[in-house]
Amino acid sequence: MDLVSLQNWLDNCAFAVLLVTMLAYWIGVSFPTLTWPGGVGTTGMAIANLAMATLLGARWIEAGYFPLSNLYESLFFLAWGVTAVHLLAERMTGSRWVGPFTATTALAIAAFATLSLPDTMQASAPLVPALKSNWLMMHVSVMMLSYSALLVGSLLAIAFLVVTRGQAVELRGSSVGTGSFRDRADRLRLAQQVNGATAIAPSTETGGVAVLEAPQTAAVALSPQRLTLADTLDNISYRIIGLGFPLLTIGIIAGGVWANEAWGSYWSWDPKETWALITWLVFAAYLHARITRGWQGRRPALLAAAGFVVVWVCYLGVNILGKGLHSYGWFF
Amino acid sequence: MNVNDSSPSPLIAAGQAIARFWKQDLLPLLADLRLAIALLLAIALFSISGTVIEQGQSLAFYQENYPESPALFGFLTWKVVLALGLNTVYRTWWFLALLILFGASLTACTFTRQLPALKAAQGWKYYRQPRQFEKLALSARLGQLPDAPIAPFDQAEGLLKAKGYRTYRDGDAFYARKGIVGRIGPIIVHAAMLIVLVGAIVGATTGFLAQEMVPSGQTFQVQNILDAGPWSAPQIPTDWAVKVNRFWIDYTADGNIDQFYSDLSVVDPDGTERDRQTIHVNKPLRYRGITMYQTDWGISAVRLHLNNSPILELPMAQLPVAGGRIWGTWVPTQTDLSDGVSLVTRDLQGTLLIYDKTGKPVATTRVGRSVQVNGITLAIDELVGSTGLQIKADPGIPLVYGGFGLLMLGVVLSYFSHSQIWLLNTPEGLYVGGRTNRAQVAFERELLDTLTALETPQAAQG
Repeated sequence: MDLVSLQNWLDNCAFAVLLVTMLAYWIGVSFPTLTWPGGVGTTGMAIANLAMATLLGARWIEAGYFPLSNLYESLFFLAWGVTAVHLLAERMTGSRWVGPFTATTALAIAAFATLSLPDTMQASAPLVPALKSNWLMMHVSVMMLSYSALLVGSLLAIAFLVVTRGQAVELRGSSVGTGSFRDRADRLRLAQQVNGATAIAPSTETGGVAVLEAPQTAAVALSPQRLTLADTLDNISYRIIGLGFPLLTIGIIAGGVWANEAWGSYWSWDPKETWALITWLVFAAYLHARITRGWQGRRPALLAAAGFVVVWVCYLGVNILGKGLHSYGWFF
Repeated sequence: MNVNDSSPSPLIAAGQAIARFWKQDLLPLLADLRLAIALLLAIALFSISGTVIEQGQSLAFYQENYPESPALFGFLTWKVVLALGLNTVYRTWWFLALLILFGASLTACTFTRQLPALKAAQGWKYYRQPRQFEKLALSARLGQLPDAPIAPFDQAEGLLKAKGYRTYRDGDAFYARKGIVGRIGPIIVHAAMLIVLVGAIVGATTGFLAQEMVPSGQTFQVQNILDAGPWSAPQIPTDWAVKVNRFWIDYTADGNIDQFYSDLSVVDPDGTERDRQTIHVNKPLRYRGITMYQTDWGISAVRLHLNNSPILELPMAQLPVAGGRIWGTWVPTQTDLSDGVSLVTRDLQGTLLIYDKTGKPVATTRVGRSVQVNGITLAIDELVGSTGLQIKADPGIPLVYGGFGLLMLGVVLSYFSHSQIWLLNTPEGLYVGGRTNRAQVAFERELLDTLTALETPQAAQG
């Protein structure tokens, strides 16, 4: 089998596997008693991930340069990144709520690349002079990995919003302020135990002196207060975005340094780089909203969910405008 | 008299009032996280406007695209666009003011929040009261472990050191921590961003940007300056020039452009060569703080001869046609210039089209060949390319790059979660508690594992 037909087979395979995976995940959250969809979903994601990695590897061998030079390749790289970060996030949360959103996104990306792009845009083409640089690999791959992580982090925030819909949210998982401390209900439970202990204390001890020592009695059964599903989704969303943010920073800086080495300006307010900055600012606002007292819970999650749209505008929307330095590999 | 005593007091009072205003009102406002978030989002929003409204176009362009009636969204006419500076958003005073306010907010936040938080993290305390554990979500009291084979603190020390913790103990109390760099990271990020902002200001005020279009074989001095800061004069080179030895384009087998090259020499006013470099896109020439980038190209002339004439060089001009770039010139074929042909080409690959006086194509030819037109032999010897160079000096670059480096280091360090674990040995049992500031889920697992491990010797006994 030659490389080109292998590639065709692999991209169809990735698409089909992701379709089954997505269905499995949605069945899993719709019928919580079933256990098989989780296993099918995780296996499917892993297979799709390997298929897309092989696809990109085959193109690397075929073209002789890192496969990130046109839209088709970058879409598959993004879908690969989303599945990879999904596997990480699912491992970290152990929750079946990660898959439905990430699998749908990965499928949509793969479907767009396989079905809507004309064949001429799927073929690999020689690099234009501006892209012939080692910085291409450094800048573009880091940017794509950051998009993957930020997308999955945003999807987890959306999952968090779905899981907690219609409920009052009291989170412990925020980074400063109320984080790491027992919530009100649990503190009340402990206090009642202490009061119970003091009620018994006078009868066993002699007199009221024991009341003063009551808070220190050993009668309190102290055990860890575990994180809830909402806590877990919220925190893993934060950690995954926390992973994507440094990658985005490094990717933007690599782009800036490349631009300065190639044409003498590390920042020129080109639409794509402006949108990368906008993405950076939105997620920076998210990271700060989390440590703002009284804002934990839905507000940062809404910001992260908005970040999902911003990443897409940055990745695809700017190319639709077809202007500026980054207008490679688009059909308009 | 009391006059002398009271006269300086209004000044002092004013000074005190300003100091009080600074400390009690302005500083807390600047350091307020909500202001920081609002600034981040405001900068994002105005940046969006700059990607939607075309930047730096002519007045006619805005008049055509943003007419007064019907106004876009009911208000966005060209007058509004120009009055607010939406045609050059990133250079307007209010956008720059926003960036400066952002810098001030960063600085204020570093001093009023981050440094105290770091100090608090470094000044940790042992927990010596059970109630201190009860506040923590992740805390537990393990029953007494009287016959544990290893003392619990020794066991905890082994367990936690293996997980990267630094451990401390004092009598009945035990403390372990890791990831304090996670508290230093954000401070580095803020400092780095200030350094980048300062570097950008230095570059904008002391740097310059120029562009030159130079035919192969000519020597030029930097003259066509597009943008220069108020203190940029010392940067502009006056005692040396650059000679373009040759400009050429490599093409791939299928006719696409592979790479642009310029062979450049830095020369003294008397023509002595000081340095020689061949540049291409992604590989500029650097000399004495000046960088020259390959950014554009053109065709400046064609060298040809007619019958047995000496070689003539005729300048070629870019023709105003839509879709692609075309260069052309006119070659007389009669001694009285009454007749001639047009020579047209679109690149340096060597193919030329010949049109007659009426605009009808009559022949094609290549460099190195000759062709019969209007009864004479026209032989093309060479197409002379010209190189488009962008020339720049930016003394702010070391600062900006330094800031970039610190920024990357800072954001990576900021991923680490500052985790702390306390133990207290009491007659009632062993209290264990912990907290972290970022990785709640991972830390919960880590602490529960530790609890299980600490309980294990007891279970083995039973």
